Amino acid sequence: MSTGSETTAGQTQGPDAMGFAARARQTTAFWIFLCLLVIVGVFGVISPNHVFFSLSNLFTIALNAAELMLLTVGMTYLLGAGQLDLSIGANLTLSSVLAAMTIVSFAGTLDEVAAGDYPNLGWAVVAGTAVAVVTGTLFGVINGILVTRLRLSSFLVTLATTGIGLGTTLVITHGANIPNLPRSLQTGFAVNRVFGVVPMPVILSLLVAAVFWFVLARTRFGIHTLAIGSSPEAASRAGIATGRHLIVLFGLMGMLTGLAAMVDISRFATTNIGGHQTDNLQAIAATVIGGTSLFGGVASIPGAVIGTLVPVVLSTGLVIMRVDSFYQLIVVGIIIILAVYIDQRNRQSLK
Amino acid sequence: MSRVRTEPPAVEARGIVKNFGSLEVLRGVSLGLYRGEITAILGDNGAGKSTFMKVLSGEHRPDGGELRFDGEPIELTSVQDAQDRGVETVYQDLALAPDLSVAENVYLGRELTLPGWLGRLGTVDRVAMMAETRTVLRNLGIDLKSYRASTRSLSGGQRQAVAVARAVKWARHAMLMDEPTAALGARQREMVYQAIRSAAQRNLAVLLISHDIPQVLKLADAIIVLRHGHTAAEFVPSEVTVRDVVDAMLGEGKSA
Repeated sequence: MSTGSETTAGQTQGPDAMGFAARARQTTAFWIFLCLLVIVGVFGVISPNHVFFSLSNLFTIALNAAELMLLTVGMTYLLGAGQLDLSIGANLTLSSVLAAMTIVSFAGTLDEVAAGDYPNLGWAVVAGTAVAVVTGTLFGVINGILVTRLRLSSFLVTLATTGIGLGTTLVITHGANIPNLPRSLQTGFAVNRVFGVVPMPVILSLLVAAVFWFVLARTRFGIHTLAIGSSPEAASRAGIATGRHLIVLFGLMGMLTGLAAMVDISRFATTNIGGHQTDNLQAIAATVIGGTSLFGGVASIPGAVIGTLVPVVLSTGLVIMRVDSFYQLIVVGIIIILAVYIDQRNRQSLK
Repeated sequence: MSRVRTEPPAVEARGIVKNFGSLEVLRGVSLGLYRGEITAILGDNGAGKSTFMKVLSGEHRPDGGELRFDGEPIELTSVQDAQDRGVETVYQDLALAPDLSVAENVYLGRELTLPGWLGRLGTVDRVAMMAETRTVLRNLGIDLKSYRASTRSLSGGQRQAVAVARAVKWARHAMLMDEPTAALGARQREMVYQAIRSAAQRNLAVLLISHDIPQVLKLADAIIVLRHGHTAAEFVPSEVTVRDVVDAMLGEGKSA
């Protein structure tokens, strides 16, 4: 039988037998990782006494990135599936408020809590965590149902639920933060460093990132996620229940937002109603910096982790350098443009 | 070409009727598709070719008539149902996910998983999927430089070949193709025709919708002409000319 093309077997082995390093070089995440190393290197060399390089400083950076990393991991899945969640800041605020109220009311009587005494601390924290995760997940699932069942764009749905979430939070709290959260949330978890070095939220975020990396890169669920982002028609013709899959993705985004809410109130021992207005944009920026395509179909969890670190490294470095940290916003903006440009060029070179 | 058909057709349509509201698109289409043969459906625009194909692919449920697979009356309830019965469709737009690799596309929705608990968690066996995909494509006479690359990076003909290969890989019964070469140049067209021929040789009943009459005369084992939702004529390609076929399509054969 004659063949259409006469490529020999030897030649066809080439690209697929390509090593890990060679394949990594084709990813945006690799180049952003190099950028990150250069930035860290520069700050390390020029910072007074090279304090930037100290292990304690590097893990402080990681701690500052831990909360955003949870959000970015979820956003990576959603962008990979061609969707978007603008409501994560509102979701985080609502989840943290409900969790904080649960903890405060479970931990002891009003007088006990006001006096800093928490007789039922253990159960209160367990219940608070459950409330945060369940609230976050439900918020996400509602987003997913609205997007898939009403066939509305996720941009508009989550813009609307941002308002609904924030409004609900303000109605519940009358705009006041929930104070008197137990300090042991900080000492036991948020600023507790395992072996005196690694903050516990960092371990939590990296564990979550590892699990989500595995699922995205190695499982059917991951392939289906990217297939939906690449071509919804192709995915549903291949028998994938795209609607249900998207609802699960929005639910996972919400679950991670609930976890981030717990990290948030643990770190600061109070809620922060006004402080999460730009969480959505930060998470989307970090996701895109890491090489996940805004158009769906391509997503990287290692990239998301690196993308989360870039803005935090910049702001920490600038503070150590005694440079106004507002410059961080400008530099991050430039890096986003660079990352999107690299992504676009990689796509065009394939055509 | 002389044919000996001892078995019932792999797919048989008897008087298939399909209406969309008051519009009668199919008014009684009857034909048989046989294993190892390429059957081409020709017809003018609006003759009902695509609608008929969608009845066979499970996308449309007929309003009348009967379908039989290997002589057994059956009903196709969905595309999924048709696929479970071994009927695969190559859509005009190919239905490939451009960002996924060739192997991921061939296995999309039917991924191979690793043995053991990892597999039960849905962990895919990329190595096996890639090796199998390479084999399927090579059996169709197609060699790609990479099976890991995204299908976006392939030429139009190669993408088409991947869609055909996916259908061949999963089809146990019949393969349906809607204008598989419409957007291709001559060389790539030849590559896809080659692949269709080898698909038929794998004992599949192949149905082909095409506008390229000269090519169909060379490629197909049987030609069926639809006109106004009816089976208007059946030809053996070696015994007819392009003129005969066009006349049948336009309904001018009898008046001549």
